[in-house]
Amino acid sequence: MASRDADRITSAQQTLDILYEMSQLLNTQLDKETLATCVSMIEGGVNPEALAAVIQELRRENAALSAHTDVNKEL
Amino acid sequence: MASNLDSLVCSLVPQARHDQNLRDELVAHCGEIIHSHIGQSNEPDIGHLADSIKRHLLRTSPNGVPALRFSNLLARLLEQPVLSRKHASLSFLHALGTTPAPSTRSPAALPALTLPPQPRAPSRLRSGTSTPSQPVPTIARPKGKSRAEILREYRAKIDRQHLPESVLLRDTLFLLQGISGKYVQFASIKDPESNQLVFKDDSRYVIPPPTKALIHRLAEVGYLYIRVDSFVREREGKAGIGMIEQSLCHHLQSQLTEYYRLIAVLESQMSASQNSEDIAEGEAGPSVREEETGLTLKRLDVWIQEWRLRMRMMSVCVEGARDTHGGALVNLIHGYTDNGDPFVRRFTDQLLEEVSKPFFATLHNWLFSGELADPFSEFFVAVDPALAHLQYVQQSASGPLAGDGGFGGETEDLGEREGGLKLWEGKYQFRTEMLPSFVGEAFGRKIFSTGKSLNFIRYSCQDSDWVATREKLSNTGGTLQYSDIAGLERSIDTAYQIASRRLFDIFFEKYGLLHHLRALKQYLLLGHGDFADQLMESLAPNLARPANTLYRHNLTATLETAIRQSSAQADPPDVLRRLDARMLEYSHGEIGWDVFTLEYKVDAPIDTVIDADAMTKYLKLFNHLWRLKRVESALSTGWMRIAGGARTFLRLPELNPEWHRVRIVMAEMVHFVRQLAAYCQLEVVECSWKGLAEFAGRRAGDLDALIAAHRAYLDRMVKKVLLLSPKAGREELLLAQVRELFATILQFREATDDFYNFCLSESARRDAARDPVRGLYTGGLREARADALPGILARVHEYGDAFSERVQAAVLGLQSHPDLDCRFLGVRLSFSDFYRSRREQAQAKA
Repeated sequence: MASRDADRITSAQQTLDILYEMSQLLNTQLDKETLATCVSMIEGGVNPEALAAVIQELRRENAALSAHTDVNKEL
Repeated sequence: MASNLDSLVCSLVPQARHDQNLRDELVAHCGEIIHSHIGQSNEPDIGHLADSIKRHLLRTSPNGVPALRFSNLLARLLEQPVLSRKHASLSFLHALGTTPAPSTRSPAALPALTLPPQPRAPSRLRSGTSTPSQPVPTIARPKGKSRAEILREYRAKIDRQHLPESVLLRDTLFLLQGISGKYVQFASIKDPESNQLVFKDDSRYVIPPPTKALIHRLAEVGYLYIRVDSFVREREGKAGIGMIEQSLCHHLQSQLTEYYRLIAVLESQMSASQNSEDIAEGEAGPSVREEETGLTLKRLDVWIQEWRLRMRMMSVCVEGARDTHGGALVNLIHGYTDNGDPFVRRFTDQLLEEVSKPFFATLHNWLFSGELADPFSEFFVAVDPALAHLQYVQQSASGPLAGDGGFGGETEDLGEREGGLKLWEGKYQFRTEMLPSFVGEAFGRKIFSTGKSLNFIRYSCQDSDWVATREKLSNTGGTLQYSDIAGLERSIDTAYQIASRRLFDIFFEKYGLLHHLRALKQYLLLGHGDFADQLMESLAPNLARPANTLYRHNLTATLETAIRQSSAQADPPDVLRRLDARMLEYSHGEIGWDVFTLEYKVDAPIDTVIDADAMTKYLKLFNHLWRLKRVESALSTGWMRIAGGARTFLRLPELNPEWHRVRIVMAEMVHFVRQLAAYCQLEVVECSWKGLAEFAGRRAGDLDALIAAHRAYLDRMVKKVLLLSPKAGREELLLAQVRELFATILQFREATDDFYNFCLSESARRDAARDPVRGLYTGGLREARADALPGILARVHEYGDAFSERVQAAVLGLQSHPDLDCRFLGVRLSFSDFYRSRREQAQAKA
């Protein structure tokens, strides 16, 4: 039983590695942790395109916020 | 789920880690996005997805290494058992990957690319969310400006912006349907000749010249469409449009329907791209995806390319169809099939196939049943409306074997006789200009003749066998169509042969044409020698009387006697009952010989071959031959007298030299007349007959050929028997000489008769003078009437000399006659150079 769990964990690890490599190739700029979160969400049934939209939105939000704070700082 | 979102928000927006409000807000926002319906249409096709990813990778780094690596990774990923939604994960990565993050963008590197690659996701986001996110424009705007951008901004500043292509696109689609758009319009729909486009320049927008040129190109199709469409409309409403034209219209209409379909597809594409464009209005330009799939003017041009050619062809056909008609129209279209361009060839072939269908239907009808079903006179056979209804005329006439009740009044007979040939020659006309060129003139003639023959069989011959013939015909003929020209020609040939053979059979067997022709030869051309002699013998006393004392019933009675007494009685009754004797129109002073004629009556449909003209020629020939016969018989009785009687009981020794002279002259006459008669009968009539009989045995060609053969036969006889010369103005010179010769001979004959009578009475007187010596008393002696003798002898000499002179002139004329047979007659008349030596003698004397 324990060995099967270990197998699963290693294969999950491998899968994640592969996906990470792909994401590197595609220049998605996701770190491994975020990717893992996203993959688990997709596995949970979330629409991938919607999720991509979410990531984009959040990035934009972040940029806006940081710009805002930059401006604030400058001010 | 929520915790996942939470951690995502935290990792991507670091500020939210401390700001609880912001985090909540973002999480809620993200939740909304996820639960919206973005991107649900994708089908789970991993191959397609992988392909598009690879394409993307190749685009970003053309050396191909990343793509290769991606393939490896994908293969490995597919082996992994863990993920259940590998496809979804991939598409997630793809969606992220194709939208480069703003931070990676390097404005300086590729200025031209700065504009278009606007992420699609934001627009989707907006459609999904009601709250617009303010920061977007700032992200979209690159920091540096490209030259195109600068130009555009400049234009915006001076208020001369280019009209957006999407607007023009819609207008162009209108133009393609022949409708003026908002910005681009046809100059005048009403006047289709001026194919001008008018660009309505908005004060705020300009249309750049390259675009104008493009629209001009596209509008050509619209212009052509208007023409074709208006043609079709126009024909739809009008009455009296030919069937060929109707089918052309139909074909054009179906082509136009195809065209509408294309327009509809284009329009739906345009509206699809328009929608997304409306969404992305604020953006600088269409997204990458839209550029790939959306419609632009240039793409429209490519789409419409083939149709431009097709429209041009159609418009050409339409132009041609305006002033041609029927077969000529088929001809016109056929003219375009000889084209090296396979597209044009195929199109015209197809068009022709359609258009020629009614033509072939008519052809089929005509070729196989001899009916002309051509309500719009499009066929290359035209019916003469004046003769069209005449086809049943013959039915009212008595059938060919309807008893021997004889014939009605002359006028009725004549009218009927005109019918046959006129009907055959005039009822249908061949119109070369309507003949489709793929059929060919020779075949057209055959078709024409076949249909005519069938029609003739049907209506003029009342052929009861007709049904059988038709069945035979329809078995051989398949369907006729344009694509099978070889088969068409075969069918035409077969139909032609069958119809012609049938017609020949009818003429020769059912109506016994050959019997009639032979009868004409035997009676009118005096082929039955015994009959002619018999007739002459029994008629001679009658004919010597003035014409006005002759009666037709006497003549016919004599004719019947002659028939019964000669071998002519063996002829079939149908032939004999047509024979008739009558008198020509006579004037004062003419005697029976001048006006008597035999007549042979033919009825329909034989009168097609033996028409009234031919009959006149036969009568002319009869007249001449009859005269010849008369002279011949007169000479033979005269010869009997002078050769037999004069030797045996005329004992007038002092007149013996005179008798010798008379015999010499008469022998010359007999020679002349015999040679002439032999020439007419043997060399002209029989030789011509042989030619005609050969033709009848061969039975080649159609009724026209038969008519022509008979005509040639008759013309040959007329020319040679009457010794006609082709020289203008002197055609009948020899004939007149021969007639004069005949007259001279008859006069000579009368003179010799007088001489004979004188000699007879003189010898009787002398015999009586010796009676007292013998011891007999026979009454008082009559006075010798020697005073009459010089007059009689003078006449005899005069006519004898006149004959010699004239026959010399005639022989001279014959020897220089252009016709070989006539010249040969001259040779025979002066076989031992008799006349030449006489001439030389005369010259030597002079």
